[in-house]
Amino acid sequence: MSTRQGFLERRYFLLRRLHSLTGIVPIGLFLIMHLTTNSSIVWGMMNKRADHSAHAVSERGVATFQEEVNWINGLPAILLIEIVLWLSIAFHAVFGVYYARTGRFNTDRYRYQDNWRYMLQRITGYIALLFIFYHVATLRWGWSWLVPGGTTWDHAYASSTLAAALRGSADGNVTIGGVLVSLFYVLGVTSSVFHFANGLWTAAITWGITISVQAQRRWGMVCLGLGTGLMAMAWASIIGFATLDPRKAQIVEERMLGTHAPPAPEATPPPAESPPEP
Amino acid sequence: MMQHRVIVVGGGLAGLAATIRIAEAGLPVDLFSMVPVKRSHSVCAQGGINACNEVARQQGYSEYQHFDETVYGGDFLADQPPVLEMANFAPRVIDLLDRMGVPFNRTPEGRRDLRLFGGSLFKRTHFSGATTGQQLMYALDEQTRRYEAEGKVHKYEFWEFLWPVIIDGRCVGIVAQDMRTMQIRAFRADAVVIATGGCGLVFGKSTNSIMCTGGAAARCYQAGVWYANPEMIQVHPTAIPGADKCRLMSESARGEGGRVWVPRKKGDTRPPREIPEAERYYFLEERYPKYGNLVPRDIATREIFDICVSHGLGVGGERVVYLDLTHKDPDYLTRKLGGILEIYEKFVGEDPRKVPMKIFPAVHYSMGGLWTTYTRGRYNPPEPAPEHKAGMAPPVSCEPGAGIAQGAPDNMMTNIRGLYAFGEVNFAYHGANRLGANALLNCIFDGIYNGVSVVNFIRDDVPSRQPAESLPPAPFTDAVEREEAKVRRLIETARTGADAQLSPYQIGKELGDEMTAACTVVKSGPRLEQCLVRLDELKSRYTQVQLADAAAWSNQSVSYARAVGDMLILAEIIARASLMRRESRGAHYRTDFPDRHDDEFMKTTVCAFSAQGHDISYRPVDAGLVRPRARTYGKTEG
Amino acid sequence: MSAQPSASRTPPIAGRRIRIKVKRADGPGKPSRWEEFEVQPEPNANIISVLQQIAANPVTAEGDHTSPVAWDSGCLEEVCGACTMVINGRVRQSCSCLIDDIAPAPGDVITLEPMEKFPVVRDLWVDRARLFHNLKRVKAWVPIDGTYSLGHGPTESAAQQAVRYVLSTCMSCGCCLEACPQFTLEDDETRWDTTFIGAHAISQARLFNMHETGRQTKADRLDALLGPGGVSDCGNAQNCVKVCPKEIPLTESIAAIGRATTLHAIAQWFSGR
Repeated sequence: MSTRQGFLERRYFLLRRLHSLTGIVPIGLFLIMHLTTNSSIVWGMMNKRADHSAHAVSERGVATFQEEVNWINGLPAILLIEIVLWLSIAFHAVFGVYYARTGRFNTDRYRYQDNWRYMLQRITGYIALLFIFYHVATLRWGWSWLVPGGTTWDHAYASSTLAAALRGSADGNVTIGGVLVSLFYVLGVTSSVFHFANGLWTAAITWGITISVQAQRRWGMVCLGLGTGLMAMAWASIIGFATLDPRKAQIVEERMLGTHAPPAPEATPPPAESPPEP
Repeated sequence: MMQHRVIVVGGGLAGLAATIRIAEAGLPVDLFSMVPVKRSHSVCAQGGINACNEVARQQGYSEYQHFDETVYGGDFLADQPPVLEMANFAPRVIDLLDRMGVPFNRTPEGRRDLRLFGGSLFKRTHFSGATTGQQLMYALDEQTRRYEAEGKVHKYEFWEFLWPVIIDGRCVGIVAQDMRTMQIRAFRADAVVIATGGCGLVFGKSTNSIMCTGGAAARCYQAGVWYANPEMIQVHPTAIPGADKCRLMSESARGEGGRVWVPRKKGDTRPPREIPEAERYYFLEERYPKYGNLVPRDIATREIFDICVSHGLGVGGERVVYLDLTHKDPDYLTRKLGGILEIYEKFVGEDPRKVPMKIFPAVHYSMGGLWTTYTRGRYNPPEPAPEHKAGMAPPVSCEPGAGIAQGAPDNMMTNIRGLYAFGEVNFAYHGANRLGANALLNCIFDGIYNGVSVVNFIRDDVPSRQPAESLPPAPFTDAVEREEAKVRRLIETARTGADAQLSPYQIGKELGDEMTAACTVVKSGPRLEQCLVRLDELKSRYTQVQLADAAAWSNQSVSYARAVGDMLILAEIIARASLMRRESRGAHYRTDFPDRHDDEFMKTTVCAFSAQGHDISYRPVDAGLVRPRARTYGKTEG
Repeated sequence: MSAQPSASRTPPIAGRRIRIKVKRADGPGKPSRWEEFEVQPEPNANIISVLQQIAANPVTAEGDHTSPVAWDSGCLEEVCGACTMVINGRVRQSCSCLIDDIAPAPGDVITLEPMEKFPVVRDLWVDRARLFHNLKRVKAWVPIDGTYSLGHGPTESAAQQAVRYVLSTCMSCGCCLEACPQFTLEDDETRWDTTFIGAHAISQARLFNMHETGRQTKADRLDALLGPGGVSDCGNAQNCVKVCPKEIPLTESIAAIGRATTLHAIAQWFSGR
């Protein structure tokens, strides 16, 4: 090889390893956090701490999610974290696309499970890239012209505005555009989760952590387990938000902001913490 | 100063060993091969490579006994000094291969493991699974690649050797053809090493690879190089008969305990495992109690042939016998013989760990080949020694130079100055029969030990005074034109709807069938005469050969048709020399002359080509080291 | 000799006629075409013997005279690697591909194509020079001090020998490259050093790094594998290990080299190179 090489050639290995690393930290880690947060719309229903602001079980989900969002928004240097994340995603995406373009799929001839996953890893990468861009552009940067119904996401009204986006209208009526957005979300998060779980499996080979076939198989089970869990959270989140009535959610949110009059006391179930009337 | 160059033709073990040794000495090497060298036929060798070793030595074995066994195994037809040198040098060859990283099988302590092989009662065969040839090939291929990367070796792969350029009895280069572009070119060299292996394809289906036509040797022969002992063709006792070739089933299968048997009862149709021990005829063990299944190849082959053909005891009435490993532990077998068992499984579809293999002899090796000479070494006993027995002190030390003088320029040089023959293509080491696991040794020994002779020839002999580079161009351009004319003539025969009877493939097939029938296990005067008539008929048909391919690019028909012409020449000297040798010796067995006649025939057959035909004469064998004795391997009568 | 058909195999019908479809091209860059031949395979025939039949009588199924099909072959016992081609869409050696296994019934069709990751020489014959070139990239040899008698080599445990032996049975056939989605046809020789090196060479690097003397040039091998076209270009499709006729654990080799390069790169980073 010639001694005069460009930066890409000289730093090739570092870039490849960084590509692999960024997929896990921060992107993968963020994905886990993000899905945990989002799925609080479902698991939050079991969160009794949310009862101070929620009255119905379903409202607990909305409240918990709002708390999670508030917590995240309250993190110090949140913008810095976000920028690091965006840069990581951009780096991972640019190099990922570049690397993916060096291969040629051949699952038509070699129909092995690993080969299918090789192909899916690349396809899901493209899908995830599109999805993440759409997701961030519409919900974070407020490009509402990309959203059917033109709604924008507001972190103070996390559940309701999200539900509105997934349903395709501000008033919570389900529109065709909304269904399409929801389906795109299903595809997008499914791709992202697969891409992460499968990437985690291949990363262990790339870094030389799993060498023997047995080790690769064992780690594969771990990744499968993780992927299944994340997938459950991802789908639960979408189903949770898509089936949420934004108007009802907004009531909870406003109550948490203190801008909405509390509902009539009789409608409120007694807080769980308080002991029953003697 | 003019740059000297060496050409090595053939990229098998002998060619690569020579290339490495010569390149290491600082002479650039042009390496020619019809195939990428890593795919050379040497990869097919399975069993192992012989050399005396510390364990055997402490049991009473010695390099000298290895020499004695080889000469005895070859039925005293080999000139003895080169054999002594080879046996003495053998442990150094193993050490070298070991350093190159050959994954020899290991003992629990991490030392090189050994196995038993035919013609010896001592474990003296080093092995790497059951693909030893492949592993040795790869080690040499890697070292060659190293020199290639350093610019000391230039490979011409997919180039076919066509003719040696000879001026005044000195070889100064070659003519070769690129098999892809069909370009024909002359290459100059101060010495040429021919290391092109055997000629199994003369016999149609053999254990040899598809390029082992003997074409290169036949072309050298026609250019004036003598060909010695062509009648000595080894038929390997155990091969898997197939539609395209016979696949070797290594002698190591017997070395690791494999037993050869047939049902005692003619026409017994029971599956082999249902035949009780008492009803099995372990004919090799019964006839040769001392060596058992490990008698030399020619003997095992003749016995199997006798059982099937004369006694009609072949399994199911067919020409096959059982080679049985099913009594051995399957894991042990996989560890020691995995490679060959896989071959059997892949090509036959049965697991030899569970079902006895069905095998039959097939043409395997050519002991004869281009005639070569040597300079005798320092060991010159006043009297040839008697048989060497285990435990006796060797009469000579194994320092290099006892058998043949180290570095003497004429070692393994043919009768043409500067033209060397290394490996199977020469006739030098195996006499009338080669012992198993001596071939790999022969190839690497030639390259490493006699490669130095090539270097010394260039530095001290004619080339130092008159380098090939300084010669006028005419002989080279003339040689190219002659070869171009031959190709043109062949291509001009090409037509659509060529006569199938005149197809080179058809002629080649008929040649193979005839040679296998007349010139292999059992020969006889009348049958050989008949064979010669048949060869004349095939030769006259060959003059009208018709190709079906007129392409001027990558035309394989041209290459094959050319080789058929060469194979016909070799076939003729094989049959003629077989007819003239009216005795039986080693692999050459005449039903009409079943005994060995040392007075008349302990001689090398030497064939010289001339316009009039083949001039066949005899030269005495250099048997000054060991006195000939009857070769019985302790056969019991009856 | 008639072999007992193994249990998994449909019993072949003797005397059947089958069709061989061959993808042919007259030379590099020439257009390819399909030709079909009808043959009657002998018992136990393989692809080679069928191609030999066609060579002896090159007439297509339609009765048109044509030229013999060009193909590469050598040992015919699956140890030289020469006769590799794409048979019914899958890369393998044609010698060990038995007709009884893949075309047991009359009228069965077998398709033969040249490997597509290497430039075609003619018909089924391809030029795999790049494959051997890649062995030079990783210095796939033991750097010995020459061929003089210098005593025996390093001792080695039987266990390590067993691992090295399997790695060393690689016959450079190219199956792993043909099936690899990351290894693509590259006619331009100047790009060979920077395009994906392939599983076989990575596995050979591991083989020589395991040898006591070979280890001395380990850093060179790993350096070669750090760059473009090195081990990180592996996409983990793992087809290589499934098509390897010698069942070499190629993916384990890739992972082992992955580990070695990781450690090597970290060590380099801290040693300031």
